[in-house]
Order: sequence, then C-alpha cells, then structure tokens
Amino acid sequence: MTANALKVCAAAIVVATTFGLASASADEIVIGASLPLSGPLAGFGSFQQWGYKRAVDEVNKAGGIEVNGKKEMVKLIIRDDKTDPNATASNTETLLSRDGAVAMLGSCTPALVNAGALVAERAKKPLVTGCDPLEAFKSVRNWKWVWDIFFDEPELANAELKAVQDWGAKTNMKLAIWHDNGPDGQVVGGKLWPEVAKSFGYEVVQNAEFPVDNTQFTSIIGEAKSKDADVVLVDAITPQAIAIRKQMAAEGYTPKVLNIEKGAEPVQFAEALGKLSDGVLVGGYWDPSFPYPAAADLSKAFESETKLSSSQHIADSYAAAQVLLDAIVTAGSTDAGKINAALAKTNKTYVVGPVKFDENHTAKLPIVALQWQGGKTVIVWPKSEKTGDFLFPLP
Amino acid sequence: MLALSVASSSIVSGVLLGGMLALAALGLSIVLGVMRLVNLAHGDFLLVGAYAGFFFFTFTGVDPLLGLPVIALFVAALAIPVYRYLLQPLAERGAEAQMMTMFAISIILENVFVLAFSADTRSIGVSYAALPLTLGPVTVPLVYVIGFAISLVAILAVHWLIARTAFGRDLRASAADAEAAATIGVDVNRVRMLTFALGVACAGIGGTLIGTAFQFSPSSGGAYLLNSLAIVVLGGLGNVLGTLFGGLALGALQSVGGLALGDGYRDLVGMAIFLLVLAFRPEGFARGRR
Repeated sequence: MTANALKVCAAAIVVATTFGLASASADEIVIGASLPLSGPLAGFGSFQQWGYKRAVDEVNKAGGIEVNGKKEMVKLIIRDDKTDPNATASNTETLLSRDGAVAMLGSCTPALVNAGALVAERAKKPLVTGCDPLEAFKSVRNWKWVWDIFFDEPELANAELKAVQDWGAKTNMKLAIWHDNGPDGQVVGGKLWPEVAKSFGYEVVQNAEFPVDNTQFTSIIGEAKSKDADVVLVDAITPQAIAIRKQMAAEGYTPKVLNIEKGAEPVQFAEALGKLSDGVLVGGYWDPSFPYPAAADLSKAFESETKLSSSQHIADSYAAAQVLLDAIVTAGSTDAGKINAALAKTNKTYVVGPVKFDENHTAKLPIVALQWQGGKTVIVWPKSEKTGDFLFPLP
Repeated sequence: MLALSVASSSIVSGVLLGGMLALAALGLSIVLGVMRLVNLAHGDFLLVGAYAGFFFFTFTGVDPLLGLPVIALFVAALAIPVYRYLLQPLAERGAEAQMMTMFAISIILENVFVLAFSADTRSIGVSYAALPLTLGPVTVPLVYVIGFAISLVAILAVHWLIARTAFGRDLRASAADAEAAATIGVDVNRVRMLTFALGVACAGIGGTLIGTAFQFSPSSGGAYLLNSLAIVVLGGLGNVLGTLFGGLALGALQSVGGLALGDGYRDLVGMAIFLLVLAFRPEGFARGRR
C-alpha cells in the first residue's frame, strides 16, 4: 500500500514537472500578475485584470512579440491574492518559479504591490506596476527591478483643498482627518494632510487613525461632529469608505466637504451608496477626456465589453502592461536583464500620458480632483480640465 | 475631553448594535449547545442572509425587513441538506469532523459568493439606513434602533420556542444528554437538524439586519463569526437570554474601548474580553441553559 502510494506520488511529481517545464519552455512569453480579485480590494482588481488582459490581447492579435528572431505569443497568468500581501508574495514566487513568468505586472495598493515587488526584486525579474502611490513605493527601498507608474501623494494631498479654494467654497476652516494605518494611509493622512491643511490655513481639529479593516467609526464621526469640522479628509479602502459615508449620514453628520481617497475610486462605492456618494471628492489620475492616445476608446471598450462603468484603474493597468510589453519588444529577448534595461529607457506617451522613469524607477501621473455626481465621476479641478461644476456643499 | 453627546451616543449605539449582533450569535450558541458544534460557516450563513436581503430588496423593491420571515425560511431550507447529507453522517465521528466540514463549507460559500455575486462590497440601500435618530444629547442611527427591536423580538421568540414548546423540551433534553433523550423517545437527529436550521435562520436574519445597517462582501463572514463567538462566551453557551445580555455587554464595552482608545481598538477590546471570560469564567456571566 505504501509502495503504491509512493509510486503514485513519484508519477505525479514526474507529470507535474514535465508539464511545468513544458509551460515554461513553450513558444510563448509568460507574464505573471497577482491581483486582488477577491477580498476588500476586489473593486480594484477586476479593473486591473481587464487592463492587463486588453494590452496582452492586442499584442497577440498583432501576431505576438519577436524574441530572438522568432514571433512568440504572450501568455498572461493571473493569480488571485485575495487582498492578502502574503498571498501576493507567494503568488509572485509561484508565477516566477513554477509558471515561468519572465516578468511581472503589479497588484494594487502599496501593501500588495510592495509585497510582490520585493519577491520580484529578490528574483531579479522586472515588475511594472500602477496602483502604488509613489512616496509609499519609494519608501521601501532603492528599486532595481521594479517600476511604478502612478501619482505622487504630495500632489494628491493638495488637489482637493486646491479645488475647494479655486471654486471659492466657504467653510469654517475646521478640518478633520481620518486615515487607515496602511502604508499610504500613514503617508497621506498621518503626514501630508496635516501639513497641507495648515498651509491652506485650516485648523486640524482631529486626526484619527484606524486599522485597515475597521468597521465601526461611531466615536471618530461623533468627535468630528462635536468639533464642528466643515471639511473631512479620509484615506480608507472601499469597504471602510462605504461604512464611513453610511455611518456619517446615520449619525446626522454632513460636513460641507468630504474627500475620501482610495476607497471612493471604484464604481462599487457609488453603487453601494447611491445618492450618498454624491458630492464625495476623490483624487484622480485619469479620465477618458484626457488628450492621450486612445483614452476615450479605452473607456468605451471597457463599458461595451463589460456593461459596467469604467474606472481609472483600467488605464494605469493597461499602460503598465503596454510599457512592459514594449520593453520586451525593445529587448528582443526574454532575458530579465535586457527587459529591465529597456524599461529604464521607456520614453513614450501612453493612455495615461507621457511615461519616463526617473532615478527612483517612478513615472508620475498628473492629479485631478474628481467628484461623484449622479453615480459617475466628473473632473472638478483643475478648472481648465473640468468636465463638471463643483457640487458644494455636500448634499 | 470628550463631549457628553459623543460619549452617550457612542455607548447607546454600541448597546443597540450589540443587541443586533446577539441575534446572529444566538444561532451559533444554540447549535453549539445542542450539537456541540462550532459552526465555522456561521459567518457565511450570515452573509447568505445579507445577500438574500440585498437581492430581495433589489428585485422586489419591498423592504427587506418585511421579507425577514421569507429570508429566514430560505436560509433554514439551505441548512437542512447541509445537516442531512454532510453533518449527520459524521455525527459518530466526533465534533472535529463536523467542525472541519463546516470550515470547508465556509471556504466553498465564500468562493460561491465571489463567483455568483462578484467580490464587490454591497449594502442594502433602504432610505432609513442613513437616517439619524436624536433624543436629547444622544444621536444614534435609526437603523440600529429598528434592528435592535427586530433582534429583541426574534430572540424572545426563540426563547419562547425553547422554553415553552414540545420542540424546545426535546431540544433541551438533547442538549443535556442526547443518549438519555433518545431512550425516552426523542428523535435526536431530527432535533439536531431543526436546531441547525434554526441557528442558521438566526444568522440569516442577523445578516439581513447587518447588511441593512452596514456593508458586506464575500469575505466579511469571518469578522462576524469572531464577534458571535465573543458574545456566546460572554453570555454562556446555549443560554438564549444570556446571549442577548452578552451582545449588549460586548457592544457597550467595545464602545467604551472605542471612546478611550479609538474606534480602531473596538475589536481588540472585544477579543480581550473574550479571552478574559474564557480564562476566568468559561461558563459565561449568565448561568443556566434556557
């Protein structure tokens, strides 16, 4: 019985090894991605998945990529990290070691992206990502194999208060900050917003931190209400953003300005809240109205394929995948070092705008202030790019 | 220094919320009491109730709270085949086998939710879920008051069922000594099946209430399972009114913790109480098995 079991195990190992080697050595270029397709950040992951797949599909429809003088198709393998950094790290290990990925695309938010990026860095394989604010990305280490295309937190921290200022919206200048204790929450809410608020002349009457998965905000909301804060800046992921907005209304607290970074980005925020989402501000880095190649088409393609409202996350993911695919084309090889060297030379305008990496391996996207109005986001700042008027005060 | 309105509103909200969560915890408690089974899929059955309430409201436009009896029956109906085909065959193999089965069901349900409903965060969008109720210095969410009232009625109904009916007599007998109950003619298997369905129905109703007051996603079940366990331990195993007391106490204590340390420490306070009660008074604060 034991001997039979051993034989079965041995056979299984042989079969698995054979197929494993086959998948890595076939005439295709494997690119891996670990994405939050379930868990609290699933609202981001589904859009990223679409963006990554679209870029790869386009390349394959055009006949693939020429590597060492031979055209090869690109195979994208995506694994669900369930919004768990440990899963992102193990997925990245698996994609690189077992699935034979020659390069990686990133997950979403600093906690997940950085977890996978550290694995790629250790394995000396290139990883291109969006969805990781640049200060949080840069704070981890001096990256050699990882490249980030996203917005810079200091610009984000300024955007909403500039919008309030430029639209001449009058408040009592009392401001409350609520932020989670994740890497970007601590950077934006713990460090940048207090400084920026003071520079705009606001009195910061409250700065409350909470765990990323917190669900009850009764005391935080009550304190801001008792301190009469007219402006509330929040940094939280989507489930918490929904809980906060709902609990604010249920506690009878309606500030004049409500900005919710990160969590108010996906369309599920507005779908879950209905009219309560109206007037909520969130920083944005892309809109179909931007004057970049195929911006409007990308949004239309998403909406026609999925029958869902598009999100800016389709753009940074699509661009990140295109940047990586272009680098493989330039390298003409699946050699990690050659792809990485080609990434360093990236200098092209993509759907998110011009992408050129600096010495920190970051390419900065410009920030706009978006506001939810009637279930859709409109650009309200800068005024030169506005697609709608500023809804003030918060309904 | 904290304003009186903030402290009083927070504590009253916590008590009301605790009362709501007590109903979900009651389901876990009676299953644990009668079947000696820690239903690790309890939080996921709670989500079945939340999704049922969500789609009931979306497709009928009828207030999900009016549909609670239908939702309770629906969730209970799902529980019966789970007991009949997955738990009952394992009854003689000890509690661990059944517990691991429920763990597997929890994982399967979470994945089914993702596949069927997407991983999106949802909330049942009834208008009163965003309305405050103000009485003097105290402002609480109106939906907490409604949820608390429904939970209280449901808990008292379960108490009546267990304390005053023939089924309740059989349930108590099976919980006290299943073998002795069987020798006097109690169909212990049937009692366990109906108890499991009743427990899951309580979770389902609790899920609709929670889905109305808060938000939920396929992965939310674990947090509610932990809260329910803390309430069960605080109130005493299988004790219906003790569970209500446990919910109220946990809600109040978590609010005090939230006020003193910040909202982020509510769960920490809850779990600390859970461990302290387990260590020093494992029978809970409310004695008896009623």
